[in-house]
Amino acid sequence: MASENLNAAEQAEVEQPAAAESAAPRKRDLALVSRSTYMKEKALQYLFFACAFLAVVTVVLIFAFTMMQAAPVFTDIGLANFFSLTWAPTEGHYGILSLAAGTALVTVGALVLGVPLGVGTAVYLTEIASARVRALISPAVDLLAGIPSIIYGFFGMVIIRPFVAEITGGLGFGALTAWFVLAIMIVPTITTLTIDALNSIPMGIREASFAMGATKWQTIYKVVLPAAKFGIVDAVVLGMGRAIGETMAVLMVVGNAPVIPESISSPVSTLTSQIALDMSYSSGLHRTALFGMGVVLFIVSASLVGVVRLLSKMRKKG
Amino acid sequence: MRPRFSSTARRDGSLSVRRKRPASYEEARGHIAPCASIGGRPGIALSRRATRLSLTAALSLVTTLSLTACSTSGSTSSITVAGSTTCLPIAEQAAELFKEETGTGVLVSGLGSSAGIEAVSNGTAEIATSSRGLNEQEQSLGLTTIPVAHDGIAVIVNTANPVKNLTVEQLRDIYAGKITNWSEVGGEDIAIQLVNRDEASGTREAFKSIVMDGAPFDRRAAVLSGTGQVRDVVSRSRGAIGYISMGFVESKYATTSVAALSVNDVAPSEETIATGEYPISRDLYFFTKGEPTGAADEYIDYVLSDEMAPQIREAGFIPAGSNEKGGE
Repeated sequence: MASENLNAAEQAEVEQPAAAESAAPRKRDLALVSRSTYMKEKALQYLFFACAFLAVVTVVLIFAFTMMQAAPVFTDIGLANFFSLTWAPTEGHYGILSLAAGTALVTVGALVLGVPLGVGTAVYLTEIASARVRALISPAVDLLAGIPSIIYGFFGMVIIRPFVAEITGGLGFGALTAWFVLAIMIVPTITTLTIDALNSIPMGIREASFAMGATKWQTIYKVVLPAAKFGIVDAVVLGMGRAIGETMAVLMVVGNAPVIPESISSPVSTLTSQIALDMSYSSGLHRTALFGMGVVLFIVSASLVGVVRLLSKMRKKG
Repeated sequence: MRPRFSSTARRDGSLSVRRKRPASYEEARGHIAPCASIGGRPGIALSRRATRLSLTAALSLVTTLSLTACSTSGSTSSITVAGSTTCLPIAEQAAELFKEETGTGVLVSGLGSSAGIEAVSNGTAEIATSSRGLNEQEQSLGLTTIPVAHDGIAVIVNTANPVKNLTVEQLRDIYAGKITNWSEVGGEDIAIQLVNRDEASGTREAFKSIVMDGAPFDRRAAVLSGTGQVRDVVSRSRGAIGYISMGFVESKYATTSVAALSVNDVAPSEETIATGEYPISRDLYFFTKGEPTGAADEYIDYVLSDEMAPQIREAGFIPAGSNEKGGE
C-alpha cells in the first residue's frame, strides 16, 4: 500500500515539473529531500490550506444563511417598510432606521470618548513610559480585552447606570451609559493597534526631530503621530467595528426603546441589542426582519474590513 | 538608544503588526469580522441552547427514570412541568412536597408561558404552567385548562414618591405617554420615568390587555427583561414607575423596597385580588394535553389541595380554591 502511494507520488513528481515550468525549481528543491519528507511537507501544506480555507467557507456559509433567512424582507416586508422609522413588529412595522440611528449614536459617542483614551495610552506606552511602568500598564490593557462583554454590561448596569441616573435625573438607561461602557471596551483594541503602528515608525525620524531641537511633545504630535496616521485610523476603524457589533453589554445599559432618543440619557435601542432581545420569541416576518438587520450589520462590518484593507495598502505605498 | 525602535527598516506597518502581535491583532479583527448578528447571537443562542440542553438532559433523565420505574411498578413515576417563570415558585414548592408524599419526581423548569405550552403540545412536558390564557392559535391544540391561582399585577413606584393612587385611565395615559409628569397626577414636579417589560413577558401581555385597552405603549419607555430588574430600577429611581407580579413586591432577597400603588382606590391585596375588586389581576393556569392522567393528575390535585394553599400564599399568589369563597 505504502509503496504504491509513494510510486504514485513519484510519478506525479516526475510529471509535474514538465507540466508547470515555473514551479519547477521549488519542486526540485523539495525533491532533493527524501520521499517521506516530501510527502509530509505536501500533507502539511494541504492540511494548513484546509484550516485557512475553513474561514472562507464559514464566512460564505454564514452570509448565505443570513441572506436566505432575510430574503422575505424584500418580498413580504418591502424595503420602504424596512427602512422606515417605526420598529413595532407586533403591529407590522419593521423599520430599522431608529435602531440604526441608535447604533450610530452609541458608536460615535463611544469613539469620541474611547479614541483619545486609547491613542493616549498607546502614545504614553511607546513614547514616554519607562520600562517598569510599561510592564504594569501593558498587561492591564491586555486584560481589558479579555474581560467578557457580559461583565462590562453588568458593570455598566450596576455601577455606571446609577451614576448617570444621579447626574441626569433619569433612569440612567441610554446612550450616555453605553458610551462609557463601550469606550472602556474599545480601548484595548485601539491601544494595541496604535502601539504597533507607533512601533513601526523608524527611530531615525524621532532622532532627527530631537536633533532639530524639538521637545518630546513636539516630536510626538508633529512627527510621530502624523507618520503613524494610517495605522491609527486603522485602529480606530477596528475599534468602531467592535463598538458596532457589541451586543450584551449594550443590551444591558441602553434601555431598549426603539425610538430616536430625545436626549443622550433617554432609552434607545441598537441593531444588535434589538436582535438579541427579540430573537428569543420572534417568529415569522419579525424573525425575518431580525435577519435583515443581521445582513445590514454584515454589510457594515464588511465595509469596515474593506476600509482597513485599503488603509494598509495605502500604508505600504507610504 | 531604544532597542525597541532599532528595526528601522520596518515601515511596513501591517506586516510588523502581524509579526509582532499576532494574537491581539487577530483578536481585534475578530471583533468585527463576524457580523454583529452573529457576534450578538451566541449569548442568546447559547443560553437558549443551554436551557434546551438542560431540558433534554432533564427529559433523558425522565426517560431513564420512567424506564426503571416501568420495570418495577409498571407506571410512569416522574413528570415534567414547564412554562411560566411567574408560576415557578408554586410549581417547585408543590413538586418538592409532592415528591415527599408520593415519591414521584417532578421536574420543573421555567421557560416562559409560550414555551411551556409549546412543550406540552409536542409532548416534551406533561404539564405547562402559564401566566396567561390560551391565545387563538393555541386553543386549537386540544389542551385542558386548569386555573391554579390568582395573581395581581402591582403598579410600583419609588418609596419616596408621594403618589399613592392612580385610576386605570391615568395609568393608561401614563403608559401611553400622554401624562409625562408626576404633577399631573398629584405628585411632585418631576418627569415620569416609564419602565416597561419586553414583549416576551406574560406580565406585559396581561398588563396590556387589562390596562391599555387597545392604546399603544409609549415607545420611549425603557424595556427591561425581568421582574427583578424592573423592581431594582424602580426602587432606585425617584420618578420611575413599573409593574410587576404582586408576589414580587415584597421580596425576601431584595435589599431595596418599592411601593405598590392603589388602582381605582383599591390597594392590591390577597382579598381584593381574589374578589376581583383590584382591577389588574389575572389567573395562573396549568395546561395538559387532553385530560390529565396518572401522576400528572395527582400532581395537579395536589397543587389545588388545601395543603398547598398556604404555600401558594407564601409565594405571593392567591390559591384558585379561594375563588369559590369570594364568589366569581
